[in-house]
Amino acid sequence: MDLHRIQLKFYLNPPAHLSPEEAFRAFSAWIPVTPDQTLVDVADYSHLPDGPLTVLVGHQANYTLDHSDHRLGLVYARKQPLEGGLLQALVEALKACRRLEQEPELDGKVSFAGSEFLLVANDRLRAPNTEATHQALAPQLDAALARLYSGPAALSRDPNPKRRFNLLVRTEASFAVADLLHRFEQAA
Amino acid sequence: MNPPGTWKEKLAGSIPDELGREIDIFETQMHLRQQGKLDEKIFAESRLRRGVYGQRYDNGQRFDGSQTQQLRFPTGDLTKGPDTLWDAPGMVRIKIPFGGLNTAQMETLADLAEEYSDDILHVTTRQDFQLHFVHIEDTPDLMRRLAAVGITTREACGNSVRNVTACPLSGVCRTEAFDTTPYAHGLAMFLLGHPDTQDFGRKFKIAFSGCKQEACGLVSMHDMGGIAAVRVVDGVEQRGFKLYVGGGLGPVPYQAQLFAEFVPAAELLPTAQAISRVFARLGEKKNRNRARIKFLVASLGIEEFRRLVAEERAILPYDPRWTAYLGDLSGHDETPLKPAQSLNGAALPEGFAEWRRTNVYAQRQAGYAVVTVALPLGDITPSQMRGLADLTRRFIKDTVRTTVDQNVALRWVSEADLPDLYRGLAELGLAAAGAGTVIDITSCPGTDTCKLGIASSRGLAGELRQRLAENQLFRDEAIEKLHIKISGCFNSCGQHHVADIGFYGNSRKVGGLHVPHFQVVLGGQWTENAGSFGLAVGAVPSKRIPQVVTRLADSYLQDRQQGETFQGFIQRIGKKAVKELLEDFTQVPAFTEDPSLYRDWGDTRVFTMGDLGIGECAGEVVPMVHFELAGCEREAFEAQLHHEAGDYRLAYLSAVSAMAHAAKALVKSQFQDVPEDQGVIVSEFRQRFFDPELHFDRFSKSIFAHLIRAHEQPLAAPTRDQAHQHIEEAQLVIEAAYSLYDRISAAVGVPS
Repeated sequence: MDLHRIQLKFYLNPPAHLSPEEAFRAFSAWIPVTPDQTLVDVADYSHLPDGPLTVLVGHQANYTLDHSDHRLGLVYARKQPLEGGLLQALVEALKACRRLEQEPELDGKVSFAGSEFLLVANDRLRAPNTEATHQALAPQLDAALARLYSGPAALSRDPNPKRRFNLLVRTEASFAVADLLHRFEQAA
Repeated sequence: MNPPGTWKEKLAGSIPDELGREIDIFETQMHLRQQGKLDEKIFAESRLRRGVYGQRYDNGQRFDGSQTQQLRFPTGDLTKGPDTLWDAPGMVRIKIPFGGLNTAQMETLADLAEEYSDDILHVTTRQDFQLHFVHIEDTPDLMRRLAAVGITTREACGNSVRNVTACPLSGVCRTEAFDTTPYAHGLAMFLLGHPDTQDFGRKFKIAFSGCKQEACGLVSMHDMGGIAAVRVVDGVEQRGFKLYVGGGLGPVPYQAQLFAEFVPAAELLPTAQAISRVFARLGEKKNRNRARIKFLVASLGIEEFRRLVAEERAILPYDPRWTAYLGDLSGHDETPLKPAQSLNGAALPEGFAEWRRTNVYAQRQAGYAVVTVALPLGDITPSQMRGLADLTRRFIKDTVRTTVDQNVALRWVSEADLPDLYRGLAELGLAAAGAGTVIDITSCPGTDTCKLGIASSRGLAGELRQRLAENQLFRDEAIEKLHIKISGCFNSCGQHHVADIGFYGNSRKVGGLHVPHFQVVLGGQWTENAGSFGLAVGAVPSKRIPQVVTRLADSYLQDRQQGETFQGFIQRIGKKAVKELLEDFTQVPAFTEDPSLYRDWGDTRVFTMGDLGIGECAGEVVPMVHFELAGCEREAFEAQLHHEAGDYRLAYLSAVSAMAHAAKALVKSQFQDVPEDQGVIVSEFRQRFFDPELHFDRFSKSIFAHLIRAHEQPLAAPTRDQAHQHIEEAQLVIEAAYSLYDRISAAVGVPS
């Protein structure tokens, strides 16, 4: 399935917290020092506590400190085609999480759970919220999850037709973001 | 799984043919521009007329806190309009005539915000929606999906008839003459794409009100506006409108003038058409800043304008659409879903009483209420919008209205349902109290996304909203009624002129660094359809505005007389006293002493383009020009005091003098011995700066033209409004002089 508008949300490990102001500072600092992407602006929506709190807008992708499902996390929202498809999108999302984890100003207080993420297909035309979409996406997804976890992962979907196609992916074992990235690097 | 196809294929049959064709043409133009086969200016006008705007960083540059960085977009130099790079995500404005939305439209808007923008829907001060950071390639499909639910972005921007607004209480208001909804809709549809509205020099905004005394549709600040009126002719009741023309905010606000005491409903559309023709034929085309109809009406005089419109009306070829819509006025009538029932002692949730006090309006139809959903900064998430659509279906059938306060109104709520509706809204995070109160602050996008923004109006509005909500002072009944409105620059998109307390963004240079400021504008009137405009009392650093608001509120509460409005209070104590009241906030310490003042709200970057090194070196030196311009500000302020005292001639003379002295300050940077004679000053300024446009930016010419005009066309007996306009113009000329001096300094490499 040719689908490039993919959103991946990784959640913060409780009790880790990242405030919208901290995200704003970090995202603003990324803009001039990320030559492989065109990052444009940072938008502040912290007045909507259950929404996209802070958005780093880019040409290829947006990065959002997000609380729209009442859980704080980082959303990597791909907007342009990406070589490597879903697998590479996962790598990009994890890299962004790791970058926040290593942000000097945040002093190591942020950590993301690698064992769970929300996948949203941000394209109601090509990927309606149906089982057929799930089937069409399955080969890519299975391959990506095998590379990521090399073990079983539970998938659940909210079938509400008004929602975009979504899958919550969970593993029983816990994984650190750094370890998952390391695994990708070794396999590459 | 079947091939996905395209939105065009999927929605075939759902989109009206004409609209579908137009979107196809736009898509073709987009591809031609992409291939370099269509001129960028032509494409720019085409996209603007379809609501597709540029945003702040679309010229490919962004200030990162220490220097301006180039944003390297993949398509390189390809543009979609002058200085607007192809890849730069932009804004799409979506017209919602009279603010009326149905649930299918609400859900589509939510889908589009998720798929094409940054997950936020923004309600504007003219009942539109805006989506930000939309990629140009996505706009044709976005338009198709809107068209499929009956919404168009056509003429949402550009030199065209913008969204036709109307009071959100139309049809349920306790004081209206009649429901203006079908007339607003009828006129909007008639003028949309009409050949007589395609050759305007500037935008044209229309509003409808059901009654005179409320804020309602804000008719007085519109290019054209109608207030519902009823008269009896030969025993028969006739509907019509008290019609106004030539109002507008912008840098220099104009109150609309009465065009006709009563225009019968059957004459509304042809009269608007005739007005459009006169505006298209005689309105300014070259100078954008003099091109609104307010300037045409002011220069012709209302009598001559009326005569020209009557002449045009007499020769208009008959159009059956003028009255066709009157045959189905009830088509817009809304009916309730539930029977009218009172609360009758139902258990009330926590917070309900306060919410009901501020957000619920009893309709004239007994047992029903209008619920205003207060949206912070006009923003709502897609999930909230979908939830609101569900609540709409559950409690009130199918329609809601956006408001000029950037909120959403649910009408025809049975009073018995209010607690359950409140609970539902609370689950969505939409049950905040305070709609229409002092904490319900209106703001334009400002520096967040607007290319013209100078200071962060949204950042300030968000901060104020939070602080005021936590401060008991702002719960006082007298304070709670006040309106605060904020614009990011002098262009007034936040409607600061008609607020009790208004602000517009500007900046001042201190020690070589820019400090974000807001000009404080006091005493505007929101009621009476935006009945009068406030006047500036001085600029204060942005970070001190919350203190300004608190002090003003405190002072009003302490010193007001019985029943005195805030506007009356400001008039009584006088601008001089107000200026003194705020004087200590205007002093700016050095960067090293308080760097927070040098950053704007919600932004971590230092505001200025300069760097700290230069600022420190220049910190002790205040250029002579700044002293001179400060003197001009004082003169402009004195003009306000004269205006307040009713001496309009002296007010006018002081304003003109302030403009001349601002020019003198600039001329002195080249010609030290310029004499005091205003004629010589203006002549020198013209020769050295104005004609060669030396260091002018795109606004300079039109702003300094106020100075030239004031000198060339002196007024012997200025009216109150003329004096007011000259004071506003003087303020603009002074601001422009500050900016011009900054550019001169930068060009010659000296600290300014």
